[in-house]
Amino acid sequence: MKQIEPFAEGFVLALAPEFVLLIGLFTLMIVPNTGDAKFRIPLTQIRVPWLFGGKRRNLDSDPRLPGLLATVFFSISFGLTAVSFVNGMEKAQIVTPSGTTMLQIDEFSRMFELIFFGALALASAASVNRLPATSRADRSLNGLYNNRRQVDFYILLITTGLGMAVVALAQDLFMLFIGLELASFSTYVLVSFLKESKAGTEAGMKYFIVGSVASGVGLYGLSLLYLWSGSLQFTDLSAAFAQNGMEPLPLIALGMLLVGFGFKVSAAPFHFAAPDAYAGAIAPVAGVLATASKAMGVLGLLRILLTIASPEATDGSAVWLVGLGVLSAITMTWGNLAALGSTNPKRMLAYSSVAHAGYMLAAITAIGALNWEEGHVDMSNDAALVVVTALIFHLAVLVCFKLGAFLVLSLLESEKGGHTLESIGGLAKRDPFIAVAMFIFMMSLAGVPPLSGFVSKLLVIMGIVKAALLDVTVNSDLVFGDIHWVWFLALLMLINSAISVFYYLRVGLVMYFHDPEEGREGPLPKGTPVRFAIIACLITTVYFGVGAGQLIALCESAANALIGAW
Amino acid sequence: MTTDWISIPLVALPLVSSIAILAFVAYASPAARDRMGPSVRMATLIFSLMMLVLTTAMFFGSNYIEGTKDWASLSFGSFNYDFRYVWIESLGIHWSVGMDALSFPMVWLTTFLLPVTIVATWNEKNAAVYFPLVLMMGGALIGVFVALDLFMFYVFWELTLIPMFFLILKWGGVDRKYASQKFFIYTFAASVIMLLGLVTVYFLQPENLSYAGAWTGRTFDIPTLADHARSANAGGEWFLGESLQKILFVMLMIGFLVKLPSVPFHTWLPDAHVQAPTGGSMLLAGVMLKMGAYGMFRLPLAFFPHAAEHFQFWLMALGMVSLVWGAVVCLGQTNLKKMVAYSSVSHMGVILIGIATMQPLGWAAALFMMFAHGIISPMLFAVCGAFKHHYHSMEIGSMRGMAKHSPWLATSMMFAWMASLGLPLLAGFVAELMMFLALWHFLSSEGWSVLWMVGPALVLALTAAYYLWSMQRTIFEGGDETQPPESLKGQPVPDIDDAEKVAMLILAAFTILFGIMPWIALDMMNGWTMAFFETLVIPILGGA
Repeated sequence: MKQIEPFAEGFVLALAPEFVLLIGLFTLMIVPNTGDAKFRIPLTQIRVPWLFGGKRRNLDSDPRLPGLLATVFFSISFGLTAVSFVNGMEKAQIVTPSGTTMLQIDEFSRMFELIFFGALALASAASVNRLPATSRADRSLNGLYNNRRQVDFYILLITTGLGMAVVALAQDLFMLFIGLELASFSTYVLVSFLKESKAGTEAGMKYFIVGSVASGVGLYGLSLLYLWSGSLQFTDLSAAFAQNGMEPLPLIALGMLLVGFGFKVSAAPFHFAAPDAYAGAIAPVAGVLATASKAMGVLGLLRILLTIASPEATDGSAVWLVGLGVLSAITMTWGNLAALGSTNPKRMLAYSSVAHAGYMLAAITAIGALNWEEGHVDMSNDAALVVVTALIFHLAVLVCFKLGAFLVLSLLESEKGGHTLESIGGLAKRDPFIAVAMFIFMMSLAGVPPLSGFVSKLLVIMGIVKAALLDVTVNSDLVFGDIHWVWFLALLMLINSAISVFYYLRVGLVMYFHDPEEGREGPLPKGTPVRFAIIACLITTVYFGVGAGQLIALCESAANALIGAW
Repeated sequence: MTTDWISIPLVALPLVSSIAILAFVAYASPAARDRMGPSVRMATLIFSLMMLVLTTAMFFGSNYIEGTKDWASLSFGSFNYDFRYVWIESLGIHWSVGMDALSFPMVWLTTFLLPVTIVATWNEKNAAVYFPLVLMMGGALIGVFVALDLFMFYVFWELTLIPMFFLILKWGGVDRKYASQKFFIYTFAASVIMLLGLVTVYFLQPENLSYAGAWTGRTFDIPTLADHARSANAGGEWFLGESLQKILFVMLMIGFLVKLPSVPFHTWLPDAHVQAPTGGSMLLAGVMLKMGAYGMFRLPLAFFPHAAEHFQFWLMALGMVSLVWGAVVCLGQTNLKKMVAYSSVSHMGVILIGIATMQPLGWAAALFMMFAHGIISPMLFAVCGAFKHHYHSMEIGSMRGMAKHSPWLATSMMFAWMASLGLPLLAGFVAELMMFLALWHFLSSEGWSVLWMVGPALVLALTAAYYLWSMQRTIFEGGDETQPPESLKGQPVPDIDDAEKVAMLILAAFTILFGIMPWIALDMMNGWTMAFFETLVIPILGGA
């Protein structure tokens, strides 16, 4: 693996996607301040265009410009990240001169960056028409409140992206936390961005308080870990854990870190703020919370549970096995039952997101269930590979259909709807295409084949079942009790996904069966970028279901990069 | 000439064409959509006829084409027109299709029912969306029957839900919302349990069977798995061990019993049928219910014969209860369509009893019942649909003397009712007679109580009773004093229209054809059952 010191040769190239985002950040800062001001060279009459201040031009005062710019920068980052997969990934580490590994570029981190940048690109495209804009009659710099406000929004989106990228790349718990906090703080503001609405402010407040408490607890756990091992490097921690991981100190620290990340993936019982936050935020932001932010949480869990508290290091199954299993069972059931009763589609999607968190925790539990001591480490790795691949695949396709569903709601929000189930009534009559798209997203969430939601659920179940059956030798003396209990998590997951069909179908019923609400009979508001984003989500939802092979291969290479390091 | 590619258009043509039409229609304005209706209808009819020609050619041609065999002489585990294409390599998922004498009659039945359904519901409203959905339904059904890969099987199995959901939801009766939701959730919940069973079987197989995934080392290939199960079951051993085999058998059977449906799980069916539009009912009763029985033959019975023998009593009991309960409930119905729906439950009980006998004759009876009921029940529902369409009512007592004012409908109804109650020389009789013989043979040879015969004997009388009684109340009673249905409000009473007449005539003709010459279909079914018993049952369970 290539080792690069900061700002040494190849540094910028290695982190090209992140630097593009950084350039985007500065561009967005500059754009609302440009105008036709001229600078007169002293003692002459020569006026040189200076670009800062003065009256603004049509182009750079357009309220849609920041959104389009952000979309372009996210897309470039996404493209660069994707390109790095072609012809094999060139792995690299960013190392400080004293030898501490800060960041690591491999298939695993790049795959997660693809998820983050993809989700953020779609969300920023969808928000272009979402933020209110007043008239552009006033061309003075001070009058252009709206354009600036939109710039703020996209600056926050880009910092979210940067934070997430750092989380993906980090090889050091401290780096990971910095990235996490950068992303978290940006999302707290994004949630309450529409300060005119009471719901938004309240949601942001709740999300901030719960989130910062969770972060604080996590940070305390981190400091305990440092106290214990004297290092925050993943490799050092993992080695220390292998030696004496059963001491109380690291276990307490681990539990505290789990709280921090449990909040991010909205696992029960840390999920209480999630439905409020999703319902209060504008739909594209809620979509980011449900996809990219959740992927970041899962990434953190994988790093902590699999890399640091590596199950390989423990006797038999992992220490956290039972705890995580119980947590996942509670999370998926709670999420689904709560979603049954919610009439606000965004709350419903939030609870369904809690349920999905439960499914993912079940998958991680399955890795812990592998018996690492009985001399078939290769096979264990193989089964863990299936589970991690399934997780990454699940997170990747969530961006397609979960974000897609939020984007459809975002279209409705721009006509002040989307907060009640009634407001999507008659969508089939008003806009058949959007209704079909929404129905497909719902079916994919429910896990109906041949959509990508089905493939991801199947992969997760396959991973769990494979882990449960690993110690089973097939012969005629086999009894049912030989199967590891995580098999029942798969059963519970399937029962839960049958329950979930109720509320996903209800959306379809309302769209196709109810009449539009009064005042909503006309066609849906236009909005080329958001429709474009919905079409992109729709195509990928179907494509990754029918032709899942390529994405599975990609996720497999990512999972290999994580597990190969063990 | 190789013909193995032929099954691709068989599945892809209806699916692709219907999705293309729907996408095209979705962008049209409502007025334009109405104008498109007739041409869309004609297009779907042409597509479905093309498929019918294709499958009929397969029936006659399999003797002559290189690489295919006569349907009746296919050995177990070999397939005509099989084709394989790697779909997801890492998991061992293939687009693997092929037909044997178990699936081919069902495929032919589907392609036969598609044009008939389209003709029978020729004047359905919102035609530009309705007919493509019917076509899509057909494509998904064919996909279930030709799939030889577990993944593909499950994909098409669930895919059938979506067009049916919309058919019930958009063209159904008053309670369509409730019915479509119940239908979807019931069958979905059952099939996810089946899915977990399938995934568990997938990981319990040894590594590196044929067509295994590059990454998991396991295969989804049904014939390979069946072959492995056969060798693992041989010599008194239980494939996967006794307790696990029983549990997996139950998990798979839950999915299929709900679809069939058998009695404790049947409650979605009457709701779905009563609310579904005629076309939906015809396909639902004609083919979709048979997916359950087909799945039983294809998976649990082939993989877990020991468990099937272990649960024989329960299968038999479920079959008996379905048979009797369905018939008893029919007696009390005043809704024509509900009565027909419960009669379907009763007939599905016949299939289950045939399976439970574990005798070649019983299985052949079940197979033929699947086929015969697939022709008769669409006619029953076509009659109900015409009744509803012209009289705006489903109540049995709402009119009298139909024979006088609507002779065509009265004749069709009489014929369909007679076919369903098992009149000799019609297709249903053959299946019921075979089932009786098989059950009798089974009871006497296995030493079970003769009391098991009480159920079927009772049902013979009950079936005749409810059909004749409903006929008497609608067709004949009233003498010269015909009483037109009140719901028409004094308007002249119409008879069925020409399209419906054509559909009824075709269905009646084939009911007679398979009643007089059952061997057309029965030969291959017998061949398949014998091959199944010779390779799987006799070496494993012994005896026959």
